[in-house]
Amino acid sequence: MTETAGAAASEEQVRAQVAAWLAENWRPGGGGPQWRERLIDSGWAAPTWPVEWFGRGLHRDMRRVVAEEFTRAGAKPVALDVTQLFANTILAHGTDDQKREFVRPLALGEHRGCLLYSEPGAGSDLAALQTRADRDGDTWIVSGQKVWTSGAREATHGFLIARTDWDVPKHRGLTFFWIPLDRPGVDIRPIHQVTGGSEFNEVFLTDVVVADSHRLGEVDNGWRVLQTALGFERLIMGAAAGGSSEQRRRAGRKDTAKADRQSPWTRKIGGADYIELAKTTGKAGDPVTRQEIARLYTLEKVNAWNGMRARADSGRGAASPLASIGKLAMSRIVHTGVKVTTDLLGTASVLDGDEDPVAAEVNRSSFAAFVTSIGGGTDQIQRNIIGERILGLPKEPEVDRDVPFRDVRKARATRRFS
Amino acid sequence: MGTFEFTEDHEALRASVRGFVEETFPETEVRRLMAAPTPLERSVWERMARELGLQGLIVPEEYGGAGAGAVELAIVLEEFGRRLVPGPFLSTALATLTLIGGDPAVTADHLEGIAAGRVVATVALAEEDGGWDASGVRCEAAGEDEWRLTGTKSFVPDGMDADLLVVAARTDAGVRLFAVDGGADGLAREELDVFDLTRRLARVRLDGVAATPLTATGDGSEFDRFLDAARLAVAAEQAGGADFALAMAVAYAKERVQFGRAIGSFQAIKHMCADAFVDVESARSAAYYGAWAIAAGSPETAAVAPLAKAFCSDVFFETARTNMQVHGGISFTYEHPAHLYYRRAKSGAQLWGSPTAQRDLLATRIGL
Ligand SMILES: Cc1cc2nc3c(=O)[nH]c(=O)nc-3n(C[C@H](O)[C@H](O)[C@H](O)COP(=O)(O)OP(=O)(O)OC[C@H]3O[C@@H](n4cnc5c(N)ncnc54)[C@H](O)[C@@H]3O)c2cc1C
Repeated sequence: MTETAGAAASEEQVRAQVAAWLAENWRPGGGGPQWRERLIDSGWAAPTWPVEWFGRGLHRDMRRVVAEEFTRAGAKPVALDVTQLFANTILAHGTDDQKREFVRPLALGEHRGCLLYSEPGAGSDLAALQTRADRDGDTWIVSGQKVWTSGAREATHGFLIARTDWDVPKHRGLTFFWIPLDRPGVDIRPIHQVTGGSEFNEVFLTDVVVADSHRLGEVDNGWRVLQTALGFERLIMGAAAGGSSEQRRRAGRKDTAKADRQSPWTRKIGGADYIELAKTTGKAGDPVTRQEIARLYTLEKVNAWNGMRARADSGRGAASPLASIGKLAMSRIVHTGVKVTTDLLGTASVLDGDEDPVAAEVNRSSFAAFVTSIGGGTDQIQRNIIGERILGLPKEPEVDRDVPFRDVRKARATRRFS
Repeated sequence: MGTFEFTEDHEALRASVRGFVEETFPETEVRRLMAAPTPLERSVWERMARELGLQGLIVPEEYGGAGAGAVELAIVLEEFGRRLVPGPFLSTALATLTLIGGDPAVTADHLEGIAAGRVVATVALAEEDGGWDASGVRCEAAGEDEWRLTGTKSFVPDGMDADLLVVAARTDAGVRLFAVDGGADGLAREELDVFDLTRRLARVRLDGVAATPLTATGDGSEFDRFLDAARLAVAAEQAGGADFALAMAVAYAKERVQFGRAIGSFQAIKHMCADAFVDVESARSAAYYGAWAIAAGSPETAAVAPLAKAFCSDVFFETARTNMQVHGGISFTYEHPAHLYYRRAKSGAQLWGSPTAQRDLLATRIGL
């Protein structure tokens, strides 16, 4: 078979190629490590990655085509070029040696990453971070504290951003690393969350030795690498239905999945099947309830339509500002949603645990709403982004601009939460 | 043509309407018309039909129209809404919706007249109590072959000006729509003092006025279908108004300096604008989605129409309010245009069914 590789391949050609490959390699009921390995090496797990790096070099529009063929054949579609933010970032900024060494184990799931960005003193203002990395020959010595690190206990590695120059303004002295977590000096402790679970952690780094070969991008140019990684994170959120699966993952995949099966109170994205609940609680005729549910239904619908419109716009080659509003809109939906379920539940919502499992679920989901409004950039930061990048409004004066980071007023760098 | 996929023809239509509106209805002209004896001179009305074919846009081709649908109408109304174009375009479009698909013996002349720009038309639904659904209709229709209407209609948009009035009236078999000639005996009209001078309203008294039925039965389904189309048309106009009000707010926030910097750099202002942006884009999505649903004859229309009317109403009102707040004291002057958008937002929200009423209807239609 002659293959038209790369961006020039037509939809029919791609379809035929995937179908042929699947016919040869996929057996119904298959899966498992061997299949995974063959899939990764074929490039069909990441259609837009370069051919020499586990991909097919296709245009991003072809992802849909590949996924359709997988589904047709009964195989689960895999799109590492969307979901594997670590490999995506390494492919964008790594050296050939790094791509060779790091990408395949990530694709196979042998390595799992976490994001060592936030610190007790640096959240929204991430560039104010104080974890230090000091050069020592071919290695770096890393010390500091990271916090809110989702999935750190399940991870083998992490994206770390640390300060390597204290005498320049805050964005300029940062360097980005892909570090192994099984090293001496790495201490990961679970943090007890309001939801009851402990999906996020604090990570203490004490004189951890990191090889320079684990540095991504130039020294002191880590902010740029970080922007790429954050972009890939947004891509994941955008690809997820309703834009919130990543946030749900952060809140605790297991909890949410269990709740999804359990009851109408927390089933849908916004939280619940409101219409059914209004009926079972006898409030379907209550005018206030009807207004609230109609309002919420409207917010969910218009947000879904915004997503459809963004896709239609980008299909015509127009960059859509609509893509940037989904997270803020979703925050309003989930917070409004839990208010409605709480109202429907009434006084019983003061109960918890085994006393009233439904109330416990609603209470937990009302906390989970904050994952959307705080995690991955707070609502206030989203409004700044919309105001400045989309509407073109001027930034606020920045008191730490052009000031060497050493001289900037800083928040406390460490604080123990566990 | 999938939902939200605007074609080149759509973009061309939008561009030509925008050009026409910007040229013909600058703010000075809008203000002149607000104070003029009629909301729009007939010469402009005719030019609109002759040069742009706007009144005939949705009129079937056999009556001299372009035979376009809800998506095209939404584009025009959005553009008109942006600049608060006064005059009976919306009223006439709503009347046109009641005529399309009807008995040609009754509707052909009217449709031809509308498409040619000879006829201004409107729909008289509400009465003194301001209700917009069939249950509020008290005006009586009597007769069998020859119908006569008696009662009082109110809140009739462009009711002073209309050559043709489509009137909702009660028969023994329920509420039906009737065509009434503007010059008919027994018809008396009086202009209402209104808050939004870009949308004139009248009270219309009918005393045994001759009328021709437009809807076949009184079971309400045709009436509902018309109302849904009307709700979506108004929603598109509101999305346009909201979009422009936000653009005004943002422009002022960049230019006005206080405390040594542009006020748009203050988060209190910036975040209001950001929230308004999310709302306005969502309103446009709702209006477009509704237009596509109705164009496709989708059963979703029943829920989308009240949803879009309620949502676009609230968004326009809230954005017009934000725009005034961002402008500070200057927005309190008659000279400044911010209040014109606030007025228009209020009239659009309350006419053809308030947001609260529309949400209640939505609740019913989604199974509550
Ligand atoms: C469930 C969850 C999972 C997370 N997972 C990870 C992870 O895996 N890795 C990781 O690195 N981080 C993670 N985070 C951290 C997250 O990115 C930060 O919590 C977030 O960016 C906010 O930072 P902060 O908590 O320090 O709050 P702060 O930045 O201190 O914010 C406090 C308040 O001040 C407001 N504020 C701050 N700056 C401004 C401004 N310029 N303008 C207006 N208001 C402002 C904020 O909106 C907020 O209301 C996670 C957070 C959550 C909730």
